[in-house]
Amino acid sequence: MKGTIFDIKELSVHDGPGCRITVFLKGCPLRCKWCHNPEGLDSKPQLMIQKNGCVDCKMCYAPCNHPECKPFGRCLHTCPNGCLKVSGKEIEASELAEILLKNADFLNATGGGITISGGEPLMQPDFVLELAEKLSGVHKAIQTSGFATEEVYQKVIGKFDYIMQDIKLVDSELHKKYTGVDNEVILRNIQWLKNSGKEHIFRMPLIPGITDTPENKATAIEIVGENNIEFLDYNPLTGAKYEMLGMKYEL
Amino acid sequence: MSKILRDFITSKQHHAYRKEVSEIKNMAEEFSASGLSPKERMTRRLVKMLSLQMPVFLPDEKICFMRTATNIPDVFTEAEWAEIKEKHYIHELGYMSNLSPDYESVIAEGLLAKRETADEYGKRAIDAIIDLADRYQAEAEKQGKTELAAVLKRVPRYGATGFYEALQFFRIIHFTLWLEGNYHITVGRFDQYIYPYLKADMDKGVLNEETALELLEDFFLSFNKDSDLYPGVQQGDNGQSMVLGGMDKYGNNAFNLLSSLCLKASANLLLIDPKINLRVNKNTPLEVYEEGSKLTKAGLGFPQYSNDDVVIEGLTKLGYSLEDARDYVVAACWEFIVPKVGADVANIGALNFPKVIDTCLHRDLKNCNTYEEFEAKVKAEVKNTADGICKGFDNMWFVPSPFMNVMMDCDIYNGGKYNNFGIHGTGVATASDSLAAIEKYVFVHKTVTADELINAVDSNFENNAELLHLLRFEAPKMGNNDDRSDLKAKMLLDTFADSLKGKTNERGGIYRAGTGSAMYYLWHADEIGASPDGRRKGEPFGTNFSASLFAKLNGPISVIQSFTKPNLQSVINGGPLTLEFASSMFEGEDSIKKLSAFVKAFVDMGGHQMQLNAVNTEKLKDAQLHPEKHQQLVVRIWGWSAYFVELDPEYQDHVLRRQQYTV
Repeated sequence: MKGTIFDIKELSVHDGPGCRITVFLKGCPLRCKWCHNPEGLDSKPQLMIQKNGCVDCKMCYAPCNHPECKPFGRCLHTCPNGCLKVSGKEIEASELAEILLKNADFLNATGGGITISGGEPLMQPDFVLELAEKLSGVHKAIQTSGFATEEVYQKVIGKFDYIMQDIKLVDSELHKKYTGVDNEVILRNIQWLKNSGKEHIFRMPLIPGITDTPENKATAIEIVGENNIEFLDYNPLTGAKYEMLGMKYEL
Repeated sequence: MSKILRDFITSKQHHAYRKEVSEIKNMAEEFSASGLSPKERMTRRLVKMLSLQMPVFLPDEKICFMRTATNIPDVFTEAEWAEIKEKHYIHELGYMSNLSPDYESVIAEGLLAKRETADEYGKRAIDAIIDLADRYQAEAEKQGKTELAAVLKRVPRYGATGFYEALQFFRIIHFTLWLEGNYHITVGRFDQYIYPYLKADMDKGVLNEETALELLEDFFLSFNKDSDLYPGVQQGDNGQSMVLGGMDKYGNNAFNLLSSLCLKASANLLLIDPKINLRVNKNTPLEVYEEGSKLTKAGLGFPQYSNDDVVIEGLTKLGYSLEDARDYVVAACWEFIVPKVGADVANIGALNFPKVIDTCLHRDLKNCNTYEEFEAKVKAEVKNTADGICKGFDNMWFVPSPFMNVMMDCDIYNGGKYNNFGIHGTGVATASDSLAAIEKYVFVHKTVTADELINAVDSNFENNAELLHLLRFEAPKMGNNDDRSDLKAKMLLDTFADSLKGKTNERGGIYRAGTGSAMYYLWHADEIGASPDGRRKGEPFGTNFSASLFAKLNGPISVIQSFTKPNLQSVINGGPLTLEFASSMFEGEDSIKKLSAFVKAFVDMGGHQMQLNAVNTEKLKDAQLHPEKHQQLVVRIWGWSAYFVELDPEYQDHVLRRQQYTV
């Protein structure tokens, strides 16, 4: 079946053990205010314009007959500096697996593998399940917010060798305020993961004044255990991608 | 390291001891009037230059010898040079370069022992060196530098008996070779020929790891005292290349404690000299790569890796003995040469691959019905171009250097055991991408006619925005693990190597094909207009063996798969795959381990040479605006590292345009 991805990143060094290739799935039910992959939020393809290469030649505004350009009102095939990119592409799980497995020898030799990230991969569970099945022979990791029904969560997670589970905000009101969703089901999935026997790590992005408060960190450690959590520093360059998408970064 | 000494040298305070000597300015005219032979002139000049040098000790300095009389006058007048050039092919400056001297036996035996077998000119050179060393020795005594005075009492007259003596001896030789007028003189397998001295001192308890490292760092500083006086295309292009690790002549692992200390010293000093190369092979443990990666993280563009398994096999196939091949080093940049006995001219010419495509595009494309027909024309043109290049070096002549002759284990005046000529291969990716585009759009999809493509290229894609976009951003590119382009590169390099097979040069050597570009990535790009890969007129090629600058690449894993597809043993003149990583890549704790695994995978996949950079683009951009704030910012150019602010703008811009990988 087909799924929607927005990027494949080679040699991602922060996405699990060894040298990895990370696939980013498009679409996310959360709206974390600090999201550093805003192009992963919307499920639909989006136009991204790289502003620093744009010389304002207006060539992309010229009318064209390419069907793929229609939804965006711009021609994707004329920019002399390659600044226009559609973020979001539908792809068959089998085709994606084939692309990724071209690197299987390299990944296995370096103790790495494939990481599925997003967006939120659990929003496309059937696609992820098929993809994971087709990726046999390589180490598979998944990064998730954990926002999915317990049934979906357990079924998908079960196919992976290594789970990177976010724990953003423990307080349910604050979670709602900053991510747009309730964390009840997330916390239930976290409990399940803890006792699942699956190799995993919990990760907390340290957003100044939001998640990096002593209470939030302490409660999270209480829930998942001290040696089981990784704190990720905030990336102050996040804002740039919002501009490329014509979106506003609130932080 | 002595911070005082490092600061003193990097702030150029030692330049205060330098002076230009006016009395020697007319040397060539005087030599000419007396009708002196070239050897006599070179000897007289060296003796004179040595006599003009004044002993100087910089603050905290342990390894002495710096150039105080800076100007080296030519030994021939302009008219004489014109006459020489009429009769001879003169390579670059005409003086000896890109050699790897026999430091090993000279440091072990001493100059007096070498004097016994030297010719008359060599003897005079040695006497003048000893005289200067004696003046340094006397001055050291006078200033109460007893340890250094004791070292100079022994070297360079006699063989070194310890680490300190060996390092000071090296410095004296290296200093003299450059003063003689030779250039791009390499350091060779320093960790092999110096290690015995380190080990002996450590066994005796004279040194420990810490004190040895400190001394080594002071020694490394000595490479940076005179290097701005050395000739090169840009500041930093001086060939002080050091080769570490790899296997010994029996095939055993040769990485030792000194190799490790050298990697550390370079990372601690953060200076552009000496240039660090690390030899690796399938038996090299991951820990060695980790030590290398720590240096990569320092941002100097060191170490440059070379793969013994590919290089040694390639060299032996070209006729090098297994023992010599196992002892390989790099010349100034990355050309593989043999120390002591090798007299290869590893950078004598360069084949411009995109120009070959350009010629065939204009001459043949319209007459070809299939891609195969077109490719056959390309192959013939590669061969034709190679034939032309090889015809250009008749009656080559080098100014004879008497001390260099002492320093080589061969009669360098008449060549060495190996006298091969190396030809670089420029713009492989631009050429293979161009072929892939021609195949896909002109012959397979038939969406672009030959005329349309030629017109678009000739008009620099004016009014062809869509075609430019297609060729530039949507066509197959080398670096994306896409056979459509990668196999074209393989074909081009195979054809290049085949074209040189069986050809001999007048010195009895052969021709070697390579994947390097040196400065031709700019020069050769200017020889043609736009190209069928969507490269606009005036845009440079990638450096050495690298992807096109504007190709949209999947990432470094695809890149190394692309660039290991060609038969790299057959293009063993050298030329690294260059990869730029954003410095943020190195922030994570286990990033060193991951980078090491990545480099090891490249080597295990059969890559021949790789050079990695940690680049901070923001810093580079700021350095263009505020050079005064970034005096020490280092970047890698084509086979050497440089201080960014000292580069001409075209070289700065190229660095900023290179493909960069982030995480």
